[in-house]
Amino acid sequence: MRRLIPFILLTVCAALPAAEPARSAFVMRWNLDWNVTGGLPEKVMLLSLQGLANRKSPQFYVIHPPEYQWEITAPLYSFYERKHGVRFTELKTAKDALNKFSSAARGYVVWDPAVPATMNVAFTIAGLEDALVVTPALISTAESHGLKSIDDLRGRYDGQTDAEIYGDAARRYWARCNHDAFMLMGGHAGAVRMPGMADWGVRQRMFFNDLSANPKHAAELALAQKLLAQLNDGATVFGWHSYGKDTEEQWTTLLSGYGLKMEGLHNLPNLSFNCQFTFTPGFKFTNNHHTTPGEKLVAGPKVYLSFVQSDSIGIGVWTKPGRGKLPFAWQVTMNWTKFSPAALEYFHESATPNDYFIGGLSGPGYMYPNHIPAAKFPGLMKEARTLMAELDEHALEIMDNSAADGNVGNADLTKETVDRYYAAFPDVIGFINGYGPARTRDLRDTRPMISYDYYIDPRRPRSEVAADLNELIALNSKRPYFLLVHVRESNDVNSLVEVVKQLDGPVEVVPLDVFLKLAASRKTYTTRYQDPDDPKHFEGYRK
Amino acid sequence: MPRLHCLTVLLGFLLPLASFASSPLDGRWRLDPTRSSALDGWTHWDLVITTDGTQVNLQHDMQWRSTKRSATNTIDTRHSSKIANFFRVEQRHMALYPAKGGLTTVKAAWIDGDRTLRLEADTPIEISQGEENMRIYSEYRLLEGDRSLVLIELHSSRPQPLVYRFTKVTPEN
Repeated sequence: MRRLIPFILLTVCAALPAAEPARSAFVMRWNLDWNVTGGLPEKVMLLSLQGLANRKSPQFYVIHPPEYQWEITAPLYSFYERKHGVRFTELKTAKDALNKFSSAARGYVVWDPAVPATMNVAFTIAGLEDALVVTPALISTAESHGLKSIDDLRGRYDGQTDAEIYGDAARRYWARCNHDAFMLMGGHAGAVRMPGMADWGVRQRMFFNDLSANPKHAAELALAQKLLAQLNDGATVFGWHSYGKDTEEQWTTLLSGYGLKMEGLHNLPNLSFNCQFTFTPGFKFTNNHHTTPGEKLVAGPKVYLSFVQSDSIGIGVWTKPGRGKLPFAWQVTMNWTKFSPAALEYFHESATPNDYFIGGLSGPGYMYPNHIPAAKFPGLMKEARTLMAELDEHALEIMDNSAADGNVGNADLTKETVDRYYAAFPDVIGFINGYGPARTRDLRDTRPMISYDYYIDPRRPRSEVAADLNELIALNSKRPYFLLVHVRESNDVNSLVEVVKQLDGPVEVVPLDVFLKLAASRKTYTTRYQDPDDPKHFEGYRK
Repeated sequence: MPRLHCLTVLLGFLLPLASFASSPLDGRWRLDPTRSSALDGWTHWDLVITTDGTQVNLQHDMQWRSTKRSATNTIDTRHSSKIANFFRVEQRHMALYPAKGGLTTVKAAWIDGDRTLRLEADTPIEISQGEENMRIYSEYRLLEGDRSLVLIELHSSRPQPLVYRFTKVTPEN
């Protein structure tokens, strides 16, 4: 019997997930004050501190209020406690944080709020020199913790353009910066700035900038092109374009032309912490498939409607009321398997049977495929296939807004691009395309490519949404009709339940995998690609 | 006397023309979004109406964020006409597009003592299943005081009307 006890213990232990060693970390709760004249300087200092504190191990986590664009910081904090055994100690003030972590810094660098680009230059220096980033008003705080000046940007760039400032910064620092990653620290510009991703850029020693991709800003664009061309193959542009200079479409078009990936937003928090956790032992992604790979479904004389949300599941409908009441597809930011595995595990853990995950956007990161160089396409899509396999995803979402005007206009794929996807993804059950509505459609063997017929603006009255959908149903009168709907991030599912009740005709809301299988069975949609005559809001860049 | 006769004849000829030469609907009208059906994909809409005899120009000055577009539908109240590139103010979050090369049949008339312009358009639309015709019935109604215009639009494919209210743009506003 005594010999049996160790055996039983061993058996029981083997059945349990291998426990991670308990670890301790620190947490701060932040408010929503990101005003340049208010809370920003202290947050900038703390973000640089967070990046340095998390260099060797995950030490410093930040919880943002639920109103912050990334709503998951509190649920993820609980997840770390629960699943990774992290014991957090709360830091109440910036002084507490400095008391704990100032030894991670070798000194400080001063930026000048009157010259906004100096914040980004200071972050670059912080990464390279292990410096705390402070405004003149915070110098005494840094010095009270024993830190000395490493650099002071006051006066250096007065009266210079951003192109001149970043040009000088590139001459001084670019060679020493990480060439696998690039920090586009744009986003909010002016009185409010929100560099919530700066911890990550500091930790990874990235070159910070908010260079413009707007052809009107020729000098900035030329510098951006020069730097992007020097990044390593497979590199990622983190952050987001400046709301004050250019558009998402311009920057994503630009980086796609170099075969680079975009990973946003500029305010995505805690990557320096998140990147240091793996999936919990024994965890494996299991998607809520509703069909099996070889299964054949046959569409009836109905309207089949499917909902998709693609704005990254961390910022949208996921936390809104009603999730689970309707079948919903969620485009997963696949790169988070590398940068934020716990977040992906949290989403999978909290998924309902109606939540179905799909790959995207366009590849292993956010990119516009019409502009990806042909030679780089196969390698990028191989990476995407690997990520999709890991995430148990069988459908791919594509988006190319290079010729669109925000969420309206031309979001279509050229035939050449469509050919490349069909060649690169032989095993998917299908593709979906667009952001706003689009009209690229195809069916090859059993793999349909369907574009969104409708985009739900969260501000549109629900009665009008129902009327719009009914109008599409009336005009597309052949049955079956495959009505793919993109749900913008801040909608909530409860309101969509009410919309569905108002739809005319034999409508069935189906999960996306079922939708694609049915769309493969009866092709009532046309085959169409981007027509060279279709208007384009932006033609792209000359290299 | 012969001179008076000539004048009478001339006036008799010119006066009816004068009544056609302009309309109280003429002018620039600006959409009041707070009192109108929600319009997706456009942030501003100015409707500029000019009449010239039986010809009516409906110029749509549209704006979406910083992007501006202007398009004019010219119609004739004497007879129906076929218009290439007919401009339909659309909800741009729906996959409904003007059919490439399509011709729109338009019929228009002044009614209600020339205070309402009635317009019937049969326009080909590209949909995901191919092409379909949409019948659009519109009334541009001038409201009392001549400072407000309401556009009521019915689609053959939509169970409820779209109602857009405009305010006249004057030097004061």
